[in-house]
Amino acid sequence: MTQTADGVNLTFLSETERDLILQVLQRDEDLRKTEDIRIRRLKNELLEIRRKGAKRGSQRYSDRTCARCQQNVGRILPKTNTCRSCNHLVCKDCRMETLTGGWKCKVCIKEAELKKATGDWFYDQRVNRFAHRLGSDLVRISLRRKPSGPGNKRETTAQTILEYSQQMNEQKVRRDQKSPKQRQRNSGEATGSPDLRDQRSDTESTEQMSLNSYKMDSMKSTPTMSRKNSIEREGKKNFGPSGAKVDTLTVPTRTREFHQSDSEGESRIGNRSAGSADESDTLFKKNPRRLLKPSDYSKSTIDLRPEQKVQGESTMGDRSKSVPGLNAEMEEEDEDIDNLVEIHRLTTARSSLRSGASTSTLGSMMSIYSEAGDFGNVIVTGEIMFSLKYDGRTQILSIVVKECRNLAYGDDVKRRSNPYVKSYLLPDKSRQGKRKTTIKRNTVNPLYGETLQYIVPESVLLMRTLQLSVWHHDRFGRNTFLGEVNLPLDSWNFDSMVDECLPLHGKGNSDAGVPNYKGELIVSLKYIPPSKSTTGSERRKSKTDEAGELHVWIKEAKNLTAVKTGGTSDSFVKGYLLPIKNRNTKRKTPVFKKTLNPHYNHTFVYNGVKPDDLQNTCLELTVWDREPLSSNDFLGGVRLGPGTGEWEP
Amino acid sequence: MTDGDYDYLIKLLALGDSGVGKTTFLYRYTDNKFNPKFITTVGIDFREKRVVYNNASPGSTHGKSFKVHLQLWDTAGQERFRSLTTAFFRDAMGFLLMFDLTSQQSFLNVRNWMSQLQANAYCENPDIVLIGNKADLSDQREVNERQAKELADKYGIPYFETSAATGQNVEKSVETLLDLIMKRMEQCVDKTQVPDAVNGGNSGKLEDTKAGERKCAC
Repeated sequence: MTQTADGVNLTFLSETERDLILQVLQRDEDLRKTEDIRIRRLKNELLEIRRKGAKRGSQRYSDRTCARCQQNVGRILPKTNTCRSCNHLVCKDCRMETLTGGWKCKVCIKEAELKKATGDWFYDQRVNRFAHRLGSDLVRISLRRKPSGPGNKRETTAQTILEYSQQMNEQKVRRDQKSPKQRQRNSGEATGSPDLRDQRSDTESTEQMSLNSYKMDSMKSTPTMSRKNSIEREGKKNFGPSGAKVDTLTVPTRTREFHQSDSEGESRIGNRSAGSADESDTLFKKNPRRLLKPSDYSKSTIDLRPEQKVQGESTMGDRSKSVPGLNAEMEEEDEDIDNLVEIHRLTTARSSLRSGASTSTLGSMMSIYSEAGDFGNVIVTGEIMFSLKYDGRTQILSIVVKECRNLAYGDDVKRRSNPYVKSYLLPDKSRQGKRKTTIKRNTVNPLYGETLQYIVPESVLLMRTLQLSVWHHDRFGRNTFLGEVNLPLDSWNFDSMVDECLPLHGKGNSDAGVPNYKGELIVSLKYIPPSKSTTGSERRKSKTDEAGELHVWIKEAKNLTAVKTGGTSDSFVKGYLLPIKNRNTKRKTPVFKKTLNPHYNHTFVYNGVKPDDLQNTCLELTVWDREPLSSNDFLGGVRLGPGTGEWEP
Repeated sequence: MTDGDYDYLIKLLALGDSGVGKTTFLYRYTDNKFNPKFITTVGIDFREKRVVYNNASPGSTHGKSFKVHLQLWDTAGQERFRSLTTAFFRDAMGFLLMFDLTSQQSFLNVRNWMSQLQANAYCENPDIVLIGNKADLSDQREVNERQAKELADKYGIPYFETSAATGQNVEKSVETLLDLIMKRMEQCVDKTQVPDAVNGGNSGKLEDTKAGERKCAC
């Protein structure tokens, strides 16, 4: 993608040559469209199979049922076995022989077929190759080439050049009348799906970002509590960065220990990590830490989900746009399809770490980073006027968005904004929970007079927070965040029907200092330096390597957020050794089901880590709720910077 | 012309010096016709062909047949189009690397093309077949078979002497390439089952990039 974007310019071609080439590329585009339709059909077929019988994490299952057909299987299992690919228990009828003589469950087989038929086997490899780049490059790439998701992965040179030249031609065509056919093509290209797709994916990602950061607000009440707790704990147990010895009850290790129960403490964690890095060449190092996981995305981690959703979105194309009612479900399904392979890769990654798990996520990660830029671009100004009404009988919450005033310019250059208002009833950040007004063109004082409605029981309503955010809609670029207000509805007086007029504020301004308590993760780090054999720890094996090993022991997590029905989560921990965020540095624990206090007791081993490298690496640990048929839910995360102690935003 | 009624879309790309017969070769393959006129390709072009692939090779049990839609990219051999054509390398799943049996220079350039491929293709060791074209012009021959075979062996890729004029080996070489790609595809998706098999098989691999093998085959 970069190469085509930078390396190929068509200026050296003559007019006729260029036309010839464009004709070829147009033919290629036709072929590609056919191919896209075919792929969509295939994915739907797979979805069909999955829907018939696949275990969903959110439902309860007996352990004695086939994961595919849901038939009960006997207590003694001559007929069942675990599919080596997805680790589900599968009965005999739901298996298929593979070419190599083994077997996999039907779904895995189908997925493998899908991977072949769609050419994903190829694109995944290609992504691999182009992923060996510096992170900054990737950011730039993703900034430049926004249509991410499958569009990105599958994008071909032909496509790139074609789109590029069509953009170029667009203005030109307007002037010197070319053949009507071509003009039609060009204008179709400009207003048609690619742009819509762009714009939509951008919104979605940014939205997701805003939601992540938002959690802070939604949890307002909890942090007070937990902070108090942690402060108390701090009083008792918290020690300075120098790392004094404490008797930790939670961590059964004899070596040096730190306790971290610091809810404000990015800087402190940083310090402490720096401290530990200083000692990193000492033998045996174990720092069980108790880390609070601030939910602020900029501090903790990046949620993968936005991007995955985007994938779903862009494959959907325009299909979903016209039918709001269907939207939610359809989108979710499509997301499913696109995630199927991904999920499967994740599963297999568990059994063999070297599988191609994160190939496609690498790019996505980066582009999420870039999304964050949207928030900083605009200094939030203005206010929003609206009223709320709740009808207890029909359980309808009506938000009448009246108008906004003095909004910032979303497009700084042209000094204009195309604002629209979007609402969520947080913490529900799903698509189903999203409402939008229309877009008002070229105004910073838009009048909407539109009603956004939710049907929600009162008991639920009181636990929600209404978020109204204003966005600048950019047809060609990314939507820009113009400001938001958050209203905890428990304290809202629904009887007063007066219009509210609230000033907009930026992301996480007033709340930035109040990280949200989302649970704790207890980990311990140990670095085994080169050429020294270690003794004394039951889990460690001696090692004589040139480079040392970094052991990350994920002991347990506590008080995780419950996201599944029944107040539980099926959680796992994922680790990356930054700055390289690919499958080589990715480690995962097994999934611990139905508990908010999982005891993972799992060690990530990174070998080939040189002492010097430690200064420049950063360990990112994230906790996820596994949701087998859709994107996993992000539960929290933390970054430990042993070197500089730097927390990446 | 396409109707989406196929199982796989496989993208191949022909490359090599200007005038070695890439366009004519592909024309022979897709339309089974020969055009002796030399019309230089402007930058990039492609042809399509629908074939049936029989998965009847020994390693794979089921003798299934698939409809494969081939997109055969034809690149300009001329230097001035080089930046454009190499950009297309990354989108192809397999390569027909061609030289002219009647031109020693085009054969010498095979090495250059090879390194271009290694740098720009989707992975470091893509599936390639080496093709010496214009085999019918035996009186003007400058490259002997042994020489070419040795080079192909060095890279670990199959070698064919073809003639677009007579049609000799044209289909066979493309089919061989397709076979390599299909095998690689199977290995790619099947890796969870038998990790070792990824490196097995007899598909053509570049010997000097063995190190990259593991990384590339997913």
